[in-house]
Amino acid sequence: MPLLYIVGMPEPIYLDHAATTPVRPEVLEAMLPFFGPRFGNPSSMHRWGRDARTALDEARERVAKCIGASPDELCFTSGGTEADNIAILGAWRALRDKGRVGVLTTPIEHKAVLEAVHQAAHEGADERICRMTTDGVVDVDAFGALLGSDTAVASVMWVNNEIGTVQPISDLAQRAKASGALFHTDAVQAFGKIHIDVKQIPADILTISGHKIGAPKGIGAVFIRRGTVIEPLFHGGAQDRGRRPGTENVASVVGFARAAELAMAERDEECRRLSAFRDRLEQAILERVPDAVIHGRNAAQRAPHILNVSVPGVDSESMLMALDLRGIGCSAGSACQSGSVSPSHVLSAIGVSPELASSAIRMSVGSLTTEACIDRVADVFPSLVAKARGMTRAG
Amino acid sequence: MSRGRVLVAMSGGVDSSVAAALLVEQGYDVVGATMKLFCHDGDLPDRPCCSLDSVNDARRVCHSLGVPHYVLNLESAFGRDVVDDFVNEYANGRTPIPCVRCNTFTKFRDLVAKADAIDADWVATGHYARVIDGELHRGLDPAKDQSYFLWGIDRGVLARMILPVGSQTKRETRDVAHRIGLEVVAEKTESQDICFVPDGDHTKIIRQRLGNDAAALAAGPFMRSDGTVVGTHAGFARFTIGQRRGLPGGFREPMFVVAIRPADRAVIIGPREELLGRGIVARELNWLIDAPSVGSHVSVQVRHRASPAAAEIVRVDGDEIELALDEPVAAITPGQSLVLYDGDRVLGGGIIERGHGVRAPLPVRAA
Repeated sequence: MPLLYIVGMPEPIYLDHAATTPVRPEVLEAMLPFFGPRFGNPSSMHRWGRDARTALDEARERVAKCIGASPDELCFTSGGTEADNIAILGAWRALRDKGRVGVLTTPIEHKAVLEAVHQAAHEGADERICRMTTDGVVDVDAFGALLGSDTAVASVMWVNNEIGTVQPISDLAQRAKASGALFHTDAVQAFGKIHIDVKQIPADILTISGHKIGAPKGIGAVFIRRGTVIEPLFHGGAQDRGRRPGTENVASVVGFARAAELAMAERDEECRRLSAFRDRLEQAILERVPDAVIHGRNAAQRAPHILNVSVPGVDSESMLMALDLRGIGCSAGSACQSGSVSPSHVLSAIGVSPELASSAIRMSVGSLTTEACIDRVADVFPSLVAKARGMTRAG
Repeated sequence: MSRGRVLVAMSGGVDSSVAAALLVEQGYDVVGATMKLFCHDGDLPDRPCCSLDSVNDARRVCHSLGVPHYVLNLESAFGRDVVDDFVNEYANGRTPIPCVRCNTFTKFRDLVAKADAIDADWVATGHYARVIDGELHRGLDPAKDQSYFLWGIDRGVLARMILPVGSQTKRETRDVAHRIGLEVVAEKTESQDICFVPDGDHTKIIRQRLGNDAAALAAGPFMRSDGTVVGTHAGFARFTIGQRRGLPGGFREPMFVVAIRPADRAVIIGPREELLGRGIVARELNWLIDAPSVGSHVSVQVRHRASPAAAEIVRVDGDEIELALDEPVAAITPGQSLVLYDGDRVLGGGIIERGHGVRAPLPVRAA
């Protein structure tokens, strides 16, 4: 039992839902038959295969419905990272011979997008990174200026995973379409929090992921609008119309569908609940630590679940340890492979000084969060700040 | 009842793993931490970024001990305090010991600050040395003693420092690891490399930092101490005082590097007697006890594993100290550490500035 060392402490508080969420019991229940009697390969012609295929198709319809897409426009992946790679590299590789060499994105994207864009640049693409405003939102005019008749694909995340700012996706997508470029949005943090309807926004490609909404890790999907040609990353069988060969992860797909439906049904109420928690925590911190800086607070629209706060002079690494030792799990910046904390590329892109960025703590509320959690964090966080600041030790 | 919280610096090796395990057994509230000190990026294909395997081993050990583990990013401070100095010292014709500065600045200053941040009363490492009544002593196992590398730490830290394996032998440490089931690390081989120079070639990092045309890596003359040029070398940073490997041959007696002169890139070679010094000047003096007075007799060590030599303190000037050796000592090397002992007890130390052949007299005091 890994949590032995916190015996004698109140229940631990998980405030990192933007990193991942627990699988919901309803989701697990929906998945279990596919680890047992319904184990078939959807490509097989016999009864076991047919059964799995039916479950897969049905799940595809259900997930597609959650974002207003047709089932044939949805392709399951191993998660958000693969979906982002299919979007960026698939679009770039399909268009590079047509004179479209520009790949446009923002500096606050998830590494999955940024690294895929770098890879495209490595293959000859012209990488263009759009300027951000200090509010944490894309500078729409700068975005427009970087678009041209030579742009292959533009990619902007819907909700930023570190600071929770919502990007003007509809506007950006329209501008990209007007220039003839494909538009991709990484909607991993938006899915389940913000109304997504691909009939209303002209995005060509859109990424969603399961484990942020109570489905297991290792399942995601990419929406590819009908008529959009992308080059697959993998080569193999004809699964998913050849866009993503490989035997489908039926159990996870079924779980994903269940989680997505639940998230849609609960969205409005859950968003009200989460944004109230977020606001309450934010207020409590600002009251007791008046010089704390809330990143992305001035954005026109914020996702309900993410609070990113810097306390000047208190380094995030020490703070994260101190919080964890009190049973409170938060995060900072983007974690390196070793698990150490590196300064956030997002904060530096929106003009936050390195000193302030090195004290950023991201707290993200979600299914496990209760009022009691918020009250305790609202109490513990400022007291840890006070202690860090008053730290003088004899000897 | 807990004996207090201790932050244990864990490298993923057997010594610090056993240190953490012993502290858990002794009833401390143990928190493990692995310091991320540098990143190899892609230049070492078989070694993943940030010594990842070591981090993973430390994490697994902590998991099996049931204690938390953190990875602390001290890369920029380590780069500044340790790696930059390492490169500069070589560029100045000296032979640095990065482990000394890592102990002084990284482990027992920066890590102690992290310990403060999590309310840890103690800090612990897997060093083979002992803290007895607030004083630093040699490790019990003479073959493993690491006290030589610890002279530079802040004296105040000794009061909260625990070195759990310092009173046992390496074999005993491995036996403990087996006894408590730390098979992941129990028989790990010891790395002799400098951690950020994993393939043993320190010239790579000098080239990386100072460029291909760095003077320390450019050809220069081998000379005798009378100025006679006897050959050409491929960069003085490849040499250290006392070195025999890579020198021109054809002399009647064995030749050693006896001095490095960066001004004209000269590597001075000579026979053994030119290697002997009778006096030492060291800087960055640090005491781990109340400073002894001039005229005190101490035993000194001028490199790791050198035998202790009797000496007398002849001068202390701010952070500079000068000692006179009772018997000549070979290869007193600028950049290495001078550590002062009283038996097993570490008194303090400094960075060797130079050795000299004359036994300096005690200063004449005004009456």
